[in-house]
Amino acid sequence: MVKGYEVVIGLETHAELSTDSKIYCSCKNKFGLEVNSQVCPICMGMPGTLPTLNEKVVDYAIKMGHALNCTINRICKQDRKNYFYPDLPKAYQISQSDVPLCENGYVDILVDGEERRIGVTRIHIEEDAGKLLHSERFNGDSLVDLNRCGVPLIEIVSEPDMRSSAEAKIYLETLKSILKYLDICDCKMQEGSIRCDVNVSVHKPGEPLGTRTEMKNVNSFSAAVRGIDYEINRQIEVLEAGGTITQETRRWDDVKGESVSMRSKEDAQDYRYFPEPDLLTIVVEQSRIDELKTQIPELPNAKLLRYVREYGITLKEATFVSESVELAGLFDECMEKGSGAPKSYISWIVGDLVKYLNDTGKTVDETRITADKLIELVDAIDKKTISNAGGKKVFAVLLEQDKPVKDIISELGLAQVSDTAALERIADEVLAANEKSVNDFKNGKTNALGFIVGQCMKASKGKANPAMMKEIITKKLDEM
Amino acid sequence: MELFENSAAKLSEMLNNKEISSVELTKSVFERIKDTDDKVNAYLTLDEENALNKAAEVDKKRAAGEKLSPLAGIPIGIKDNISTKGLRTTCASRMLESYEPPFDASVMTKLREADAVVTGKLNMDEFAMGSSTETSYFKKTKNPFDLERIPGGSSGGSAAAVAAGEAVLALGSDTGGSIRQPASYCGVVGLKPTYGAVSRYGLVAFASSLDQIGPLGRTVEDVAMLQSQICGHDKMDATSAYREYPDYVGLLSEDVSGLRIGIADEYFGEGVSDEVKTAVMNAVGELEKRGAQVKHVSLPSTDYALSSYYIISSAEASSNLARFDGVRYGYRAKEYDGLVDMYEKTRSQGFGAEVKRRIMLGTFVLSSGFYDAYYKKAKLMQRRISAEFSEVFKEVDVIAAPTVPTTAFKIGQNMDDPLKMYATDICTVTVNIAGLPAISVPCVHEDGRLPIGLQLIGDRFAEDKLLSTAYAYEKTVGGFRFPKL
Amino acid sequence: MSEMNIDIKHIAKLARLEIADDELEAFESQMKSIVAMVEKLPDISDELKPDPDTPMTLRADEAETDKFTRDELMKNAPAVKAGCLVVPKTVE
Repeated sequence: MVKGYEVVIGLETHAELSTDSKIYCSCKNKFGLEVNSQVCPICMGMPGTLPTLNEKVVDYAIKMGHALNCTINRICKQDRKNYFYPDLPKAYQISQSDVPLCENGYVDILVDGEERRIGVTRIHIEEDAGKLLHSERFNGDSLVDLNRCGVPLIEIVSEPDMRSSAEAKIYLETLKSILKYLDICDCKMQEGSIRCDVNVSVHKPGEPLGTRTEMKNVNSFSAAVRGIDYEINRQIEVLEAGGTITQETRRWDDVKGESVSMRSKEDAQDYRYFPEPDLLTIVVEQSRIDELKTQIPELPNAKLLRYVREYGITLKEATFVSESVELAGLFDECMEKGSGAPKSYISWIVGDLVKYLNDTGKTVDETRITADKLIELVDAIDKKTISNAGGKKVFAVLLEQDKPVKDIISELGLAQVSDTAALERIADEVLAANEKSVNDFKNGKTNALGFIVGQCMKASKGKANPAMMKEIITKKLDEM
Repeated sequence: MELFENSAAKLSEMLNNKEISSVELTKSVFERIKDTDDKVNAYLTLDEENALNKAAEVDKKRAAGEKLSPLAGIPIGIKDNISTKGLRTTCASRMLESYEPPFDASVMTKLREADAVVTGKLNMDEFAMGSSTETSYFKKTKNPFDLERIPGGSSGGSAAAVAAGEAVLALGSDTGGSIRQPASYCGVVGLKPTYGAVSRYGLVAFASSLDQIGPLGRTVEDVAMLQSQICGHDKMDATSAYREYPDYVGLLSEDVSGLRIGIADEYFGEGVSDEVKTAVMNAVGELEKRGAQVKHVSLPSTDYALSSYYIISSAEASSNLARFDGVRYGYRAKEYDGLVDMYEKTRSQGFGAEVKRRIMLGTFVLSSGFYDAYYKKAKLMQRRISAEFSEVFKEVDVIAAPTVPTTAFKIGQNMDDPLKMYATDICTVTVNIAGLPAISVPCVHEDGRLPIGLQLIGDRFAEDKLLSTAYAYEKTVGGFRFPKL
Repeated sequence: MSEMNIDIKHIAKLARLEIADDELEAFESQMKSIVAMVEKLPDISDELKPDPDTPMTLRADEAETDKFTRDELMKNAPAVKAGCLVVPKTVE
């Protein structure tokens, strides 16, 4: 609820698929190359050229359909969406209209610790358009770069199930982490690999849904939040002033922090969809659909719930780890093979490991750390073979060298003395040599205990297990 | 007899026996073009230098003892909507007046692999929209048998060039009759192959679900020869069929005994002239004499084919021709104010009246609120028509019908009445709607009369039966006779 | 439906064609007669579903590079600047 209004948000999310070639031709699907260098007669829409559909695109879209619990339409088709624009060479986009590849799914997201189910209306495949370049230097012209034409896209259309910009952001982040897990999109926001259109309406509780507006040009998740909040406030202001909301398409300007009307419903585009006659029916064998399902790993939103519910990990840490395929993979392997506490593994991962990755720009694979090593390390600490401080030194070596943990411990001389007899011998020597401190303690100066334990640690050259040392001293002082 | 007057089959044999060279043959054809094309106006672009180079190359290969295709060294003309790398491909439109494709259509790749000699590009109705070749932006092609009459269309240049001896063979394209109808008017043989038999890659699209490239020649054997070379699966065309095709020349047979020929009353309606009806029925009678059986069949939805055809073809055309916007290739208006104005001026100046009419009709039938009433109904009717044909082909091998209701009309006669022009397609469009093969073979070919074509329609991929039937008929009545030019 | 008004100007706008005012009347009557011809189709109560009997073979995901140079592909363009196609200033 915002200012007494309920908010209804639906999202249309476009994700570029990371195939080798484009959707309808064999041009390389690669970002950032020289203008108009990744084009051919087909993606340039030259007269007489014809599209051929990339099988990987269908596979990837079906995987996403499985991940979002969709029905897969094994018999479907493609349609032409007709409109004129300089970035659209054929003046139609090959897309899917009435029979999408996937439909009727959902995704569970975690909002403030509560599970929310967001409906997914459909996922369809289509081609991306090129890019228009604008500059003062072009003397009133715009330039057209067609490299992006024909880059494969899936469009994921949600139900209007979201109630706040925060919820929309979590939904988008969940989609992003799923796309990463499936390894079907590189999710580089700055390269525009994920973009979305936002539909927003507001209404008073108990009243029918309000008129919705559509907002385009939303190029980051934070822009989505800003755009949605702006639109909610704009609509409420209009309604409060006695006005009505016009059904229209608006363009979000993230720099100015405002949206402007592009066109209203009256002059809305008439896309004249009709079945693409250059392509025949897409018929996917059921066995292929089933096979693709077996390739779907446990997804980040499911992992997140499991980490929080079963392992008692904080939401913040669980979200952080589950969103990364690598970190979650490392953690899950530790949990599977090791016997340490989940929190022990997690704290090494989100602490020292992530700091190292951030500092060096490496990926987990590029370090020498493995689940087996981390398990050994946590075991050594749990068994008090080394201290926590010693553990940090060992971990630093593990990141860069492929050596057994126990070798590193002995090389660095970090093994703690936990042998009771040895510790008692040290205690006796230190107590005998520090009669004054013993007396101070007896006279109520409790901080003398710290001094005595410190002397013991010094005598052991730091290798004594500090907790055990303290326990023995306390016991001996009590007996004296 | 001049070299250019021979059939492709005969020339192939002469070349093979080294009685003639391809250079001699090519020169003979270009001589003929120089003699007659200022009357016939079949060509939009000639490619003499490359043709002669190619001919010399083929002669060299032959001299070196290389095994060559039957088409090697044979001069072939190409309809100007088939993309030829580096050779202007205009679709007879101002829009593409100076467009040079950077790639070859798949059929051109096949012809080049067969070492065929490409003479040049042939006139047509603008973007293949028309039935008379009068909608060409550049020139009006004449019927070689009567220069005051149209050659038919849209492959009018192809039919006229072959009939005039300005090419030994030609490629055309057929969306609603555009190969068969001009073949009929010009007294030559034209085959519209089964949809999917010949790759459309590089054919500038008019109506993607109906378009098909096909051969025109002066004899059935020549047409069979060219068809054998151009058919086959192409991975660049998703609508191309996966199958093996026979060598049609080897299958030609004069024996029609036991052949079941269907006659459907729907093809002999009131618009069909008595002269044409008689000619077609006489031809059927000849085949019957040679042992074929004639059966009456019914195709009740034929009356709806023309409507379905104009809706589907225009809808697809409106979308296919949207890419001509003056941005990447082709004509751009000289003066305009902003993007939308550039689009509108470019397209209004670049397209002729008939193309605009079809784009408008297609845009209308697809526009919001009208889709179900037009496009959807037409597509459903298309399925019904296909189903009716499937039933009929359980009973007969081929269906005999007129190709066109009348003989060639005079230039300018139907230009102002689109409906009259559209009505000439009535016997041919059903074949495209159902994706079937059909051939037009001359059944009146005598001095003082305008040619008339017999249309034979077959089941999907039954080109062999059509070619054999047409071959048998051709042997009965005698072959091609050149017009006096 | 034959008495229906066809909004020629609207259709022309969708098709990005200009129909001059003096052509409008002739165009409209031609369009009407064409529409009258094509609209005699009967209702067929059926759905237009994708036809599973015409399945499509998909293309393997293999990138081919450098088959065409940019110059070859752009040589037909009416206006080129800095390797790009040029259009009047366009900001949506």
